[in-house]
Amino acid sequence: MSAPLALAARVEQGHWPLDCPLWLLHRPGAPILSAKLWMRGGSGRDAPGERGAAQLLAGVLSRGCGPYSADALADLVEGCGAGLRCEAAEDATLISLKCASDDAATLLPLLLQMVRSPWLVEDQIALERQLNLQTLQRQREDPFQVAHDVLREQLYGSGPYGHDPLGVEAELRQLGRDALQRQVEQLGAQGAVLVLAGAIPDGVEQRLLAGLEGTTWAPRPPERRAGPPGLKAGGLATSPDETEQLVLMLGTTTTPLGAEQALALRLLHCHLGIGMSSRLFVALREEHGLAYDVGVHHPARLGDAPFVMHLSSSAERAVEATRELLNEWQRLLEQPISPEELELARAKFRGQEALGRQTSSQLADRQALVLGHGLPMAFADRSLEAAAQLTPEDLHRAARTLLTQPCLSLCGPATALRAAETQWQRHPLSASAA
Amino acid sequence: MVHIDLPQAPVVCLDFWCRAGSARETAAESGIAHFLEHMVFKGSERLAAGEFDYRVEALGGNSNAATGFDDVHYHVLMPPEASNDALELLLDLVLQPRLDAEDFDLERQVVLEELAQSEDQPEEVAFQELLRQACGSHAYGQPILGQRSALEAHRPEAMAQFHRRHYRPERCCLAIAGPTAALGGDLRQRLEHSRLGQLSPGDEEEPPPPPLALRPGEARLELPRLEAARLLMAWQLPGAADQRSVLGGDLLTTLLAEGRRSRLVERLRENLRLVESIDLDLNVLESGCLVLLEAVCETEQLPAVQREVRRVLLELQEQPPAEAELERARRLVGNGYRFSLEVAGSVAAMVGNSALWQRRHNLQAPLDWLQQWDGAALQRELVPLLAPERAFCLQAVPA
Repeated sequence: MSAPLALAARVEQGHWPLDCPLWLLHRPGAPILSAKLWMRGGSGRDAPGERGAAQLLAGVLSRGCGPYSADALADLVEGCGAGLRCEAAEDATLISLKCASDDAATLLPLLLQMVRSPWLVEDQIALERQLNLQTLQRQREDPFQVAHDVLREQLYGSGPYGHDPLGVEAELRQLGRDALQRQVEQLGAQGAVLVLAGAIPDGVEQRLLAGLEGTTWAPRPPERRAGPPGLKAGGLATSPDETEQLVLMLGTTTTPLGAEQALALRLLHCHLGIGMSSRLFVALREEHGLAYDVGVHHPARLGDAPFVMHLSSSAERAVEATRELLNEWQRLLEQPISPEELELARAKFRGQEALGRQTSSQLADRQALVLGHGLPMAFADRSLEAAAQLTPEDLHRAARTLLTQPCLSLCGPATALRAAETQWQRHPLSASAA
Repeated sequence: MVHIDLPQAPVVCLDFWCRAGSARETAAESGIAHFLEHMVFKGSERLAAGEFDYRVEALGGNSNAATGFDDVHYHVLMPPEASNDALELLLDLVLQPRLDAEDFDLERQVVLEELAQSEDQPEEVAFQELLRQACGSHAYGQPILGQRSALEAHRPEAMAQFHRRHYRPERCCLAIAGPTAALGGDLRQRLEHSRLGQLSPGDEEEPPPPPLALRPGEARLELPRLEAARLLMAWQLPGAADQRSVLGGDLLTTLLAEGRRSRLVERLRENLRLVESIDLDLNVLESGCLVLLEAVCETEQLPAVQREVRRVLLELQEQPPAEAELERARRLVGNGYRFSLEVAGSVAAMVGNSALWQRRHNLQAPLDWLQQWDGAALQRELVPLLAPERAFCLQAVPA
C-alpha cells in the first residue's frame, strides 16, 4: 500500500543563478518536454477594483514578448507544433509549455521572456479584455456555473477567492496597461518554481536563461505561508433560472494543501466522490436515481480550500434531492466511515496518484503545484504513507472540525427553489448556521 | 484482440469495443445503445450491481464507457499488477449483463436526468438541432441519448434483444495498452477460454453502415438562456475507412482553425474581432466524417461572421495553402498525435477502434499519411468538400 510510486527515472535540481528552484524530472521514452513555471499570486492577489487583472495579464503575456510580436510569437510556437499557455488560477499564474524535445532549445527562452519582457501592447490588451468579458457573459448559460459563482461568494465574500479568475465585469472593463505593468513587476516575487519533465536535453539552464536577455529577475523560492481564509458563514442562496433541472451545491471552506487535517479530508473526498463506487454516486445515483452527475469539488489551495458536494436533479424531484444531499453531509458529521470504506478510499487515493502521473505534463503540473505550495518533492509519496496510518476516527474528527456551517447554493426554476428551501430550513445543517 | 506494450506507462488500459452505437438502433430503440451501456454497469450473471466498480476501484483502478453513433466502448485503467483481474471482470460484465427489471427502472431515471442536464445547456441543444437538420433521417441526426418518449417506453427484454443482436464476437474487439508484461504470455489462449471466446458468431450478415448524405441548407433558431449567438456549420467528408482522408481533414481543420495563425482564428478573432471563439472540429465517423464549425459572437455580428467564414473558405479554393502554412499544420497535428501516444487510454482507444473496423495500419501510418499530403492535393481533394454551399448552416440566437 505505501510503496512509493515511480516519479521519474531520475530527479535532479537544475543549477542556475535564480532564486526560483528548477527541477528536472527525466523520463526517457517519448521525445516530449513539458515545462511548468508556477508563480504565486493569481486571481487571489487581484487588487481591490482590479479583479480580473491576473488572468488578463496571463492572456497578454503570450501576445508579444522579447524580440517577438504577437504574430511572430504565434508563428514560432505553432510552427513547432507546440503548445504555450499562460493562465491565472486562484493561487498562481502558470506558464505551460509542451513541445517535442528537439524544439526545446528554440522554445525554452520564451518562458523568461514572457515574464521579464512582455510587450503589453494596448491593442492586444483590448482584444484579450474583450474576449474575457465575452467569456464571462457566455458562462452564464451554464446553470452549474451560476450556482458555483454564487456559492463562491457565499464562501469567500469579496475576499481573494471570492471571484472567478476571469474577473468581475465592471472592474475588468477598467483594466489597462498600467494595472498590468504593476503586476508584471510582481511576477515571481511571492514565490516561483519551474519544473521540467520528459526527455530533457542537456544544458537547458542556459537556454532558459537566454530568455533574460540582459534583464534581471529576482523571484523568491516558494515558502509555506497562510493563504486566504473563508467566511464560514453558512446560509442559503438561490438563483432562479428556467431550467429543467435544479442544480445543488453544498459546500464550505476548509484547509490548505499540506495542513494538519488536509489528508484526512482528501480521503473523505475519495470516499465520497471518486469513482462509481463512491458514497455519493451509490447513494444519490444508484440507489435513488436522482442524478447523472454527482461529485465533490475540492481543489488544492494555499488558503482555505472549498469542499463542495454537487448534483443536478429534475425540478420535480427537488425535495428528495435536497433532503438526500443534506443527509449525506450530516452523515459525515454524525458517524465515522467504516474501516472497509476507508480501505477503499485509500486505494482510490493511490490510484489517483498513479493516474495523475501518466504524461510528462501531468507530472510537471502536479510537482509544480506541490513545490509552489512550499511542500517537498516527496510530498505525494509521504502522503501515501501517512494515509496508511489514518483511522476512521481521524477522518471523522476532520469532518467535524472542517465541514461545519456549509452553504447551499441552488439554481433552477422558482417552484423547485421554493421546495428545496423548505427542506433546507427544516434540516439541522441550516439550524447550525443560524 | 490487439495489444500494445508501453513498458513506461504507470497503468494498463483494457478497452472493449463493440459495433453497437446508436446507428444500430431502430426508431423504437431510440437511446437503447446508450441506456444499455449504463445497464452493463448494473451487473452481470456473476457480478452484483456495483460489484464491478467496487472491485476495480479497490484495486486502484477506474472504469468508464462511452457510446457513439457507430460504436460503444468500455474501458478500465488498472495498476499493471491488477490487470489480470480487470480482464476477467470486464469481459464478464460486458458480455452477460443481467438487466434486472428494478435496476432498469432506476437507471432509466438516471438516463433521463442525463438528458435533462444536456437540455439545460443551450449550446448542446443548438448542436443537436444542427445535426438533426443536416443529417435528416440518418442516425447521425438523432440524439445518442435518445428521445424522451422512447426512453420512457423501453423494456429490459428489448434491450436484451439489442444486446444479443450486436454484442457478437465478430463485432467486438478488445484492446490492451500499457505495461502488458504482468498479463502473461498466454493472453490469447485465456481469451479463447473466456466469455468472449465462447460466444458464437451471429448467423446474419451485418449490414454495412448506411451512407450519410448531408443536406446543405440554412436555418435560424431562437434559444432561451443563450447568452451569446452561435454560428454552427456542418460539412461531410469521406468516412473513417478512408484514413488518408481523415488525416487530410485533420490538416485542413488545423490549418483553418487551430491556433492564432490559423486562417479563421486570425481573420475573425484576432483581426476583425467579430468572435469570442471559432472552432472547427473533425468528427471521425464510419458513414461519413462530419466537420463542425462553431463561432461564438454577438447576435448583430452573425451576418458578418458568416460572410467572413465564407470568404476564407473561398480563398482556399482559389489558392492552395503555402508550404509554410501547411508545415505548421503538419507539426501541430503530428505533435498532437505523438502527445496522445503517451497515454495508455488513448493508445488503447486508437488501436481498439481501428481493429474494430478492420483497419490494419500501425501506429506510424498516420504520421506517414500526414507527410504525403501537399497543398495541391488538399486543394484538389478536400477543400472542395468544405465549400460554403455544401454546408448546413444554423444560426442560434438568444430568444
